[in-house]
Amino acid sequence: MAQLPYIEPEDADPVTKQVYDDAEARFGMVLNIFKISGNAPEIAEKMWQIYFDILREGPMLDWYTKELLILKSTKMGDCLYCVTQHEVVALREGVTVEKQRDIVGAIYRQSPHYTDAERAILDLTAHVMIDPEEIPADVWARVKEHYSDGQIVEIAVTIGAYLQVSKFGDALGVKLEEVWYGHQPVLFVEEPPESPGTKHLLDEFMAQTPVGG
Amino acid sequence: MPVVAPVENPTEDEAREAYAAAEAHFGHVPNLVKALGSNPVFCKSITEFVIQALAEGRVSWAFKELVVLKTCRAMGSYYAYGAHERLAHDLGNSAERIGDLANSIWETSDAYTDAEKAVFELVNQIAVDANEVSDELWERLRSHWDHGQLLELAALITTFINIGRTADTLGVADPVLFTKPVAAG
Repeated sequence: MAQLPYIEPEDADPVTKQVYDDAEARFGMVLNIFKISGNAPEIAEKMWQIYFDILREGPMLDWYTKELLILKSTKMGDCLYCVTQHEVVALREGVTVEKQRDIVGAIYRQSPHYTDAERAILDLTAHVMIDPEEIPADVWARVKEHYSDGQIVEIAVTIGAYLQVSKFGDALGVKLEEVWYGHQPVLFVEEPPESPGTKHLLDEFMAQTPVGG
Repeated sequence: MPVVAPVENPTEDEAREAYAAAEAHFGHVPNLVKALGSNPVFCKSITEFVIQALAEGRVSWAFKELVVLKTCRAMGSYYAYGAHERLAHDLGNSAERIGDLANSIWETSDAYTDAEKAVFELVNQIAVDANEVSDELWERLRSHWDHGQLLELAALITTFINIGRTADTLGVADPVLFTKPVAAG
């Protein structure tokens, strides 16, 4: 169980219900992280709009590219909940398992699966996650070679938003939904989590039997 | 010069709406909003989200500002620290309540209640490793605050982790957030 109750759709007030309907239209289900936010509907409404804006094509970046940023940042943040879900979403958007595997550490820098533009924004992501005060000038130069100002805003916002949602869900103890049981993790197999809490959650998750066989 | 060029006079609807909302709430358009101006969709959703956070809520705005300050300190992110200190003061916090947030002084300070100290503990743990917040701390938090307040606090802490990181990445400074008077509700 999480640290606060999940507010189920049948118990939700109209504002929360609208957020749930939007989430369901986008993701085919109401995830636990939405249900926990039903404890404060006025916050959920504004908060999730940012994620609805990220998880789609555009406005200035393609969804595929944003999934690379999400995988990189949430892996570095040791967020099992985010990484598991986004391995599936990224695959659906066309990011192959081989390419996903190469995103950990610095493998992507040498990997044939990545373009120079992608390598530049993954370098940026790593620096932003570790210390935004230490982003080297050559990283910015490479990013700016490939992306416009509006796209750079979208890149920075996507990394910041996934830093937020990782910490939000993990702090509240939001658990992966049964629908993910049986998923073969890619990133955490390539490089195990550092956080003892995430290690424990990963072991728990791996021991689950897929629902419906 | 920041990484992206600030937009002074937006032409697209979403950005214009965001600038108008920011003007109404803050009294002017903060630099972070202008930095996001080249991406009108995110300029709007992030501005509206921050406006919602920087106001009275389920938890008093005066205390929320102390949580914002502690979050900035815990994350080493000072993009708008001075502005939030000023805001915390204008909302009625004493100099002691603002100053004692530093390092571990809050732990032994008389300026805070146990309920408030439990929130600062949550801030520090989220900053270091959000996966390691103990059940014991959550029990204490739930004994002081209701579910809606705790959701608001978790959202607030992580929002300012997000906003601070985004602003630091883009090289934005907002030494002044509010140019109109604020008052505790």
